[in-house]
Amino acid sequence: MDLVVNAVSHEVDSAPLTSLLEVLREELDITGPKAGCETGGCGACTVLIDGEPRRSCLTALCMAEGREVTTVEGLGTPEALSAVQQAFIHHYAAQCGFCTSGMIVASSAYVDRGGSPDTGAIQEALGGHYCRCTGYVKILDAVAAVARGDDADTMSTAASPTSSYVSIGGTGNGGGGAA
Amino acid sequence: MKVVGARLPRYDGVGHVTGRTTYVDDVRLPGMLHAAALRSPHHNARIIDVDTGPAEAMAGVRAVITHADVPTLVYGHLSGAGIDGDEPLLAKDFVRYKGQPIALVAADSVQIARAACDAIVVDYEELPTLLDVRLAFEDGAPVVNDRFGNWYKEFEGGLEARQIRKGDIDRAFDDADLIVEGVYRTQAVEQAPLETQVCVAVPEPDGRLTIHTCTQALYFSLGVVCAHLELPMSKVKMVGGTVGGGFGGKVDTASDTLAALAARKSGLPVKWRWTREEEMLASSTRGPWHMEIIDAVTSDGWILGRKMLTLHDAGAYGRFSVYGLTKHSFHHTGAYTIPNLHFDGYVVFTNRIPTSAMRGYGVTGLSTAIEVHTERVANELGMDPYEFRLKNANRVNDTSPNRIAYEDPSTVEVLQSIAAATGTELDGSLRAMTRGERTDDLLPDHLVGQIAQGGHG
Repeated sequence: MDLVVNAVSHEVDSAPLTSLLEVLREELDITGPKAGCETGGCGACTVLIDGEPRRSCLTALCMAEGREVTTVEGLGTPEALSAVQQAFIHHYAAQCGFCTSGMIVASSAYVDRGGSPDTGAIQEALGGHYCRCTGYVKILDAVAAVARGDDADTMSTAASPTSSYVSIGGTGNGGGGAA
Repeated sequence: MKVVGARLPRYDGVGHVTGRTTYVDDVRLPGMLHAAALRSPHHNARIIDVDTGPAEAMAGVRAVITHADVPTLVYGHLSGAGIDGDEPLLAKDFVRYKGQPIALVAADSVQIARAACDAIVVDYEELPTLLDVRLAFEDGAPVVNDRFGNWYKEFEGGLEARQIRKGDIDRAFDDADLIVEGVYRTQAVEQAPLETQVCVAVPEPDGRLTIHTCTQALYFSLGVVCAHLELPMSKVKMVGGTVGGGFGGKVDTASDTLAALAARKSGLPVKWRWTREEEMLASSTRGPWHMEIIDAVTSDGWILGRKMLTLHDAGAYGRFSVYGLTKHSFHHTGAYTIPNLHFDGYVVFTNRIPTSAMRGYGVTGLSTAIEVHTERVANELGMDPYEFRLKNANRVNDTSPNRIAYEDPSTVEVLQSIAAATGTELDGSLRAMTRGERTDDLLPDHLVGQIAQGGHG
């Protein structure tokens, strides 16, 4: 079976009803999506399927065949962070980081479809994602900053004379950035 | 000033936001096996027989570990502090809580490991259960803990409770205008990190072990693994530091030791990642606390004395509970200074998941009890709760229940912050009570002589 992940086509051997999460992690070694609960409850395994956030733990491999799967690895790289990734760093929205892959994926889909900076709307979009560290406020701040179109260069330099953030390139495959 | 006030990026931030951070579950090695545990379905039972034969005969099963494979079966989390161990790494003659591990299987896939656990035949004799600390002291109560009985009885001086005695409690109650009693009970809480318990144990060619661990307490876990395996610490290398959330739930070395045994027995790397169900069922929780508080107070709002009884539900085994209860005892006056104290605290065993650390071990539930009680006392006195709190607030050089002088108590500042956050004006006499020094109207006769040397008295 062919599976397209982050614009790369893979020939996979897993059975058609294997969860997409297991295929990504165990067969393809794409470990950005996390196994937090494997029952659709926590959101840590979220990936984009044709641009829509989906729980990879509840998605059978055969349901992803012929469609574009994007994981957090496809949204930006350490050298070229997406706007959402940049904002998560700036606002300290990633703490232990285990929920972050899913949060970034869902947040990217939200801003890509023109989501507003309204707190309630962001909460609705991220309602299926647990974070046990941050208390969510920093995550809401980060997503709102991107939705508002805050200047990433301002974000990365205004408050921090020692900042080492790379500037936004927006060259990632899935590309966040409503700005 | 390059750091204070600056917005410093997290050193691990880029890895987290790009999915590149390597958590323990992201470690993969050639030939790596996957483990699963057989756990007790009963809260309390005698184990009559365990037959691992059907599991060992299954294709793809590489190692089955039972109590007989553990060099030192019983080792206590506080053994290093001289407190005897009481918990077998794998159940031998009894299971004392639902979810207690009996065997670990390492196999070519996690599906095979789980199927092999299902194939192990255990013959149980179910026993009556004890699930309420208040029933633990009754004659005929089911006995939970094979080492200590139903409560820990080996505090210093041969005491069965952690005791604090300070001042003259009888005089405080004789002098009181009002006595206010309250009973407060908090529940167990699962820390619920997004990353469940996970480890990868790797047997090295030179006989050493490498363990990729999610522990919050790396050197402590190193000691626990080496104690059970009877290895010098030079033979075990722990690789940690990247933890997908812990909150106290990853200090108990829940998975490292068993995976290490399976790795040594099979000669292959073993990954053991708990399911979310296991995490909820069988990983340690914040403990439930039963707290009875009786305060002796004056009509003008001074707390003269406190009698307190605490029953700490340790679950089936002690783990860190003696430490947690001791910390609880040191904090049992909370943010307030009370000169006369009579505290008894028991570590009680029940057929529940063993309890352990979570964010303010021993103190968080206590703070809830104290603040609810404080509010009740103020209400019964008919006094403004801010005035009552400011009056009894800890101040510099007041002493804690264990007689430590407070260098920088923050009660007054916290009360001011609460007032500001809720739009409450602390004016007039209340403002005058926000000073940090204990003098004049803040130093009544019963507190004279209670202030530490060098204090304001």
